[in-house]
Amino acid sequence: MDETRIIAWIDGELTPEEAAEVEAAVAADPALTVIADRHRRIRARFAAAFTPLLDDPVPLPRRKPAQVVSLAAVREERAQATESKRNWRGWAWPGAVAASLLVGVLAGHSNAPLGVPDRAGALALSAPVAQALDRQTSGDLGTVNVALSFKDHDGELCRSFVAQYIGGVACKTGGGWQLRYAAPVDGQRGDYRMAGGDAASAKVVATMIAGDPLDAAGERKAIAASWH
Amino acid sequence: MDDFETALAALLPRLRRFAHGLARDTADADDLTQQTAERALKARDQWQPGTSLQAWTYRIMRNLWIDTGRSRQRRDAVLAPEELGETVGVSGEAEGRAELHFLMRAMDRLPDEQREAVALVMIEGLAYAEAAELLEVPIGTLTSRLVRGRQALAAMLED
Repeated sequence: MDETRIIAWIDGELTPEEAAEVEAAVAADPALTVIADRHRRIRARFAAAFTPLLDDPVPLPRRKPAQVVSLAAVREERAQATESKRNWRGWAWPGAVAASLLVGVLAGHSNAPLGVPDRAGALALSAPVAQALDRQTSGDLGTVNVALSFKDHDGELCRSFVAQYIGGVACKTGGGWQLRYAAPVDGQRGDYRMAGGDAASAKVVATMIAGDPLDAAGERKAIAASWH
Repeated sequence: MDDFETALAALLPRLRRFAHGLARDTADADDLTQQTAERALKARDQWQPGTSLQAWTYRIMRNLWIDTGRSRQRRDAVLAPEELGETVGVSGEAEGRAELHFLMRAMDRLPDEQREAVALVMIEGLAYAEAAELLEVPIGTLTSRLVRGRQALAAMLED
């Protein structure tokens, strides 16, 4: 009679015959009684502490996690795009959005400098986001979700994404992934919609994109070539 | 809500209890529960109707927990005296919460593989065969992890 069998008995894993056998052995041996009582007490203690959790209401996430930009939304935006070449830098960065974005970019990186210098590399993405952009194909589930990949008018490869704190569009430059557009992700936990909404992100992509988005084969090729 | 969402919503309290068996604290457990629900909603096409939605969602939660890659360093397998004393002098609901947190900290000291076995069987009440299938290990492996985890808990809580 060993401890494993006694625990199996307490857990109700034995047939009635086996259970009767263990019960008799435990009753006849004070040392086994001590072991059985101990495991029964611990099981009861966990049940008493954990079972009340079942009474707490738990809401479903408010909305299903959204795709940042759907292909259809981009096509529609592109079809509607006017001739005027609006500079995305001009309208995509209201101060408050930019400020909260920078908080998001730096969050979680204790060795990141405080404050953001005014230079090209200032908007380089954090390592986990950059890594996801390097390696994930669009539609993969993860803490970073990549929605779409495309080539911009300068010939750079760009990807739209949603991470935990920010979502937006980043392009691969010589120095790494740089943000071209971003908005904070809605603060509600579990709601991955961007504050600017899918429409704003689609608009940005429609402004930037040259040609069609990359298909799965194109993405695999780009991943193999490190997006250069 | 459609049928899938209704069934998932009904499972959420149990998923959250399982999360409390895995996570280091209540905030982490609630995060894990929400992430699991989101993942389940997003991947709902991968669930085979007719199979257990509970087992499917438990598996999602367990994989998320493993994948988070949080540095779950092993700590001393002994609870500090101040932790043992925490439940003294409080009452009622606060005492219940303190006891829960105390047991979560004890679970946190188990190696991951023992902890998930204990959470599934002793907290969630799964049969050994169900837990072994969910964790994709032979039943003998599940049993030995479970017993070692229970022995470690007994030593922490009662010695």
